[in-house]
Amino acid sequence: MLHTLESLESCNYDGMDMTVLERQAARLKWQQQYYVVQNNNPVPLSASSVPQSQGLIGSNLGSGQMVELKRPEVFLGTDDLQDFVNLPVSGPDFGESEKLDLVPPEAAADYCISRTFNCQMTTPNIAVMKEEREDVILEKIESTTGSGRVSFNKRKAEAVADHKSKDKRIRGEGESEVKTKCSTEISRNSSKENSKASEVQKPDYIHVRARRGQATDSHSLAERARRGKISNKMKCLQDLVPGCNKITGKAGMLDEIINYVQSLQRQVEFLSMKIAALNSSVELSVQNLPMKEFPAYVANFPAAAKLPEMAGLPCFQLNPLQKESVRFMLNESLHPPQTEGVARASVCITEQSLSSSSMTVIFPTSMIFNCSSSLTSCMMFSNALHLSNSYCSNCNHSQLGTWILKAFTTCTIWDFIKIVELNFVFYVNR
Amino acid sequence: MYNPDHTKPGSLKSRFTTRFLRALSKIHAHKPISSSSPTEMFQRYQRIKAAADKSMAYSVRSRRTWSRAMLWKLRTRSCGRRSVKTSTIIKSQQAIMKKTRHEKQNENTTTTATTGEDGVGFCVEEDELREIVPGGEAMDLCNLLDETAHYIKCLTTQVQVMKKIADFYSL
Repeated sequence: MLHTLESLESCNYDGMDMTVLERQAARLKWQQQYYVVQNNNPVPLSASSVPQSQGLIGSNLGSGQMVELKRPEVFLGTDDLQDFVNLPVSGPDFGESEKLDLVPPEAAADYCISRTFNCQMTTPNIAVMKEEREDVILEKIESTTGSGRVSFNKRKAEAVADHKSKDKRIRGEGESEVKTKCSTEISRNSSKENSKASEVQKPDYIHVRARRGQATDSHSLAERARRGKISNKMKCLQDLVPGCNKITGKAGMLDEIINYVQSLQRQVEFLSMKIAALNSSVELSVQNLPMKEFPAYVANFPAAAKLPEMAGLPCFQLNPLQKESVRFMLNESLHPPQTEGVARASVCITEQSLSSSSMTVIFPTSMIFNCSSSLTSCMMFSNALHLSNSYCSNCNHSQLGTWILKAFTTCTIWDFIKIVELNFVFYVNR
Repeated sequence: MYNPDHTKPGSLKSRFTTRFLRALSKIHAHKPISSSSPTEMFQRYQRIKAAADKSMAYSVRSRRTWSRAMLWKLRTRSCGRRSVKTSTIIKSQQAIMKKTRHEKQNENTTTTATTGEDGVGFCVEEDELREIVPGGEAMDLCNLLDETAHYIKCLTTQVQVMKKIADFYSL
C-alpha cells in the first residue's frame, strides 16, 4: 500500500516521467486497494490523500501534455479521471494513515468534495485542452511526415473523434470538439495546400494555388489579380457601350468607349441647346405642370414610340430629302425661309440620326439652314458634326473639324456653306 | 403607356428629372425670354447645360469621384474665374486626389508599381479616357474603368430625360 502511495507521491514530483501505462497500472492498483480498504475499515480520509488526489489530477494533466495521443489510453485516462471524480465523498481511505497527518473528517470530506467538484468543472476544460494539444501535435506530425499521410492522419483523427464521441460524459461537448476538430482539419488542409503552392510555409495567409509554370511570388500574383479585375470591368463596359461585341482587344475597346462617352457628352450639349431654343413655350408649361407628377411623366414618356418609326426608315429614303434641303439651302443661302414645321422635322431627323448608329453629316445641314444664321444653329450644327465624327471614325474628319472651328469663331454663313458642300460631296461619294 | 416599374421614387432618373426641371424653371423665371438674340441664346444654353450637369452630379452626390470633380468645376465656374486663383485650383485638385487616394487605400489596390505593365499601347487611350471622364487624372486604371461605367450610365439617363423634355416641349 505504502509502496503504491510512494509511487503515487512520486507522481506529484515527476509526473512527466511516468508513462501512461505505468500510471494507469498504479491507478488501478490504488483503486483496488481503495475498494479493499473501504470494505475493510471505513476510515476518514487524510489530508495527505487529498494532495495525492490533487497530484493525481495534476499528473493526469501532466500526462496530457505528453505525446502518444493516438493511444486510446488517453481517453481511458479521462474515463479514469471521470471515475476518479465519481468516487464517493469519503475519498480514498488508507489503513495505514498513522504516518500521515490526520485531518478532521468533515473538513477533509468537504475538501474532497471541493476537489471533486473542481474535477468535474475542469474535466471539460481538460478534455478540450487535451484535444487542443492533440491537434497541435497532429499538425506537427503531419508537417513532418508530409502529404502522403494526410488521409492516414484524417482517419486517425476521425477515429479519435469517434472515440471521443463515445464518451457519455463529454457528449455534450462532443459537438464542440468535433467542430473544433473540423476547423483544425480545414486549417491543416489549407496549410497543406499552401505548402504545395508556395515554397515557404506561411500560416493564415491568402491561399492561392499557383498554376503550372507560373510564378508564385506576391508581385506577380497581385499583378494577375489586377489584370483579372481590369478584364472584368472591360466586360461590363462592353455591355454598356453598344456595338462593342465584335471588337476584341483592349485598345479597340477603349477607343470605342472614348468615342461613346464623347458622343454622349455632345448629345447633352445639343439637347441643352435645343431646350434653350425652345424657350418661350417651355416657360409657361413648366409653371403650369405640377412638379411632382411631371418628372414621373417625363421619365415614363415613351420616347421610343416616336423614334422606332423614324429608325425604321432606311437611310436611303431620307437621302432625297437631304439632297433637296441641301440644294434648297444652297440656292437660298442668304435668306433661308424659316418655317417651324420644317425646323421641327429637321430636328426630328437629327434626333433620329443621333439615336441611330449610322450617322451621316447630311442630316444636320438641313437643320442649320432651316434655323437661319443664329449662333445656336451654328453650335447645333457643329455639335451634330462632332457627333457624326465620333461615330464615323475617319481621318478626314479632322479637316472638317478645323473648318467647323473656323466657322464657329467667325460666325459667317459662308464658311458653313463651304463645310456643307464638303460634307455633301464627301458622303455622297462614299 | 405608363410604366411605373421604370421609375422608383429614389432612382437616379427621377432625382435628376426633378432637379433639372426645377433648375429649368429657375432659369426661365430668372430671365424671361424677350428676344432671341444669339448671345442670349448662348447664355441660356450655357446655363441649361450647367444646370443639367449640376443636377446630374447632385443626384449622384459625392459617392463618385467624377461627380465630386464635376461639382468642384461647376462651383469654380460659378464663383467667377477671376476670383479663383491658381493656388486654390491646385489645392482643390489635391483634395480630390487625396480623396481618391483614400478610396484606393480602402480598397487595398496595388500601388503604382504595376500601372505601367499593361503595355505601352494602352497608355494613349488611358490618357484620353482620363481627360474625358471628370476627375479621372488622379485614378488608376481599375478605378477609372469603374468611374467610366458609372459615368456612361448617368450620361445615358441624362440624355434620355433631356430628350423627353425636349420632345415634350417641342410638340
